[in-house]
Amino acid sequence: MISSFSEQEKVQKQKSKQRLNMATPVTVLRLPKGPDPNSRGFDPKSPRFIALYPEQLPREQHARSVLRESFLRCLLTMVEATFRASDIDVLNFQVSDLHTPIGVQKEALIRCQDVISFTFDA
Amino acid sequence: QPTMAMRQTPLTCSGHTRPVVDLAFSGITPYGYFLISACKDGKPMMRQGDTGDWIGTFLGHKGAVWGATLNTDATKAATAAADFTAKVWDAVSGDEVLTLAHKHIVKTVTFTQDSNCLLTGGNDKLLRIYDLSNPEAAPQEIAGHTSAIKKALWCNNDKQILSAADDKTIRLWDRSSMEQVKMLTFETSVSSMEYVPDGEVLVITYGRTVAFYNALSLDLIKAVEAPAPINSASLHPEKDFFVAGGEDFKLYKFDYSTKEELESYKGHFGPVHCVRFSPDGELYASGSEDGTLRLWQTAVGKTYGLWKCVLPGNNFCHSLMKSYLEQAIWHREVDLSSDEICPLVDGK
Repeated sequence: MISSFSEQEKVQKQKSKQRLNMATPVTVLRLPKGPDPNSRGFDPKSPRFIALYPEQLPREQHARSVLRESFLRCLLTMVEATFRASDIDVLNFQVSDLHTPIGVQKEALIRCQDVISFTFDA
Repeated sequence: QPTMAMRQTPLTCSGHTRPVVDLAFSGITPYGYFLISACKDGKPMMRQGDTGDWIGTFLGHKGAVWGATLNTDATKAATAAADFTAKVWDAVSGDEVLTLAHKHIVKTVTFTQDSNCLLTGGNDKLLRIYDLSNPEAAPQEIAGHTSAIKKALWCNNDKQILSAADDKTIRLWDRSSMEQVKMLTFETSVSSMEYVPDGEVLVITYGRTVAFYNALSLDLIKAVEAPAPINSASLHPEKDFFVAGGEDFKLYKFDYSTKEELESYKGHFGPVHCVRFSPDGELYASGSEDGTLRLWQTAVGKTYGLWKCVLPGNNFCHSLMKSYLEQAIWHREVDLSSDEICPLVDGK
């Protein structure tokens, strides 16, 4: 009777030891994110990047500065043409052979309000 | 708080292709804290400290990177490499900011608290102090070590410097006079050094020993023997634990006051080269010859970062585990130092 009881005990101990070795591992939400094979990282859209390096020019402001720059470049170009006539109120000039940065216009009407200055070659 | 035994689940950070030889945490910033790892593949990486998520790789070095560090607010990084340079990086954009040429392999780099100066040391046996606001100027040089410098640190509010070299000494230097103030000599080369500013504690490892010194006087506080040769150790910010790792691939956690070994964990597939506690003490990171970094919980089972606490009672299996475990402990069947189980979280 005693031997069978100690046999039972041995089996019980063995079983509980096995169960203990299956102690619950801590649950993990996900694995740490690994490197992006296509980039060196340091995402400029990350909150830290944006907070520490705020964009100097928001897009709209950048677009405006580009337009302003091209307008100023336009001002630098003088346009040449053969003057033909003006209307009575000096609202429009009729010209021939208008040389523009994008080509020569045989006949054209120039709005005087668009003209900043003009000179005549005698 | 769980009151049953949970098994530690380390988080593995992959990405490096060669051994990870150094790692460092930043301080706690408004965006959390960060981690940098130095690797023999020449590509140090920056990660989010509490999750291990990769943030970016600093590209530029042409040789193994032996040392890496972040400044307190994680805006700058510095690296020491076998290409005879130390580099300073913008840790937000990942851009290289400065390359500092040396005459031999650079092993260690560290910033002052204000990030204005950088201390370097390496195989040319010289300590160099660079003024980062005037990087073109020649660095101040401190000579004295008779072999390669392994690790250099600022201490005593950046007024002094501690350096460990292959000449089996640790030397304390005064920054203003540039003179040696004290020296400790060992019988074997020191494998690592960590400085804990709060309390001025210096953690040194050599052989199987983890030793704690007063960083100002270099007086020994205590020494603890580990089961295997140790390559690196780190003291918990609250000084209740320290962790160590080395040649047997395992991580050990000890009670600092009693020197008792509390837990040990297998996980790495190669020797552990570096181990550091996070600035909040909630986790520690280890870098290994196996090319991985692993994050380990200080309080196993606690909800933190990517780890989630599963409350007992919600799950029938957990309740069952608990009763089996309690029975087994009563019958003294459990070996609490085994690496399969960690002690109950509430201390019983």
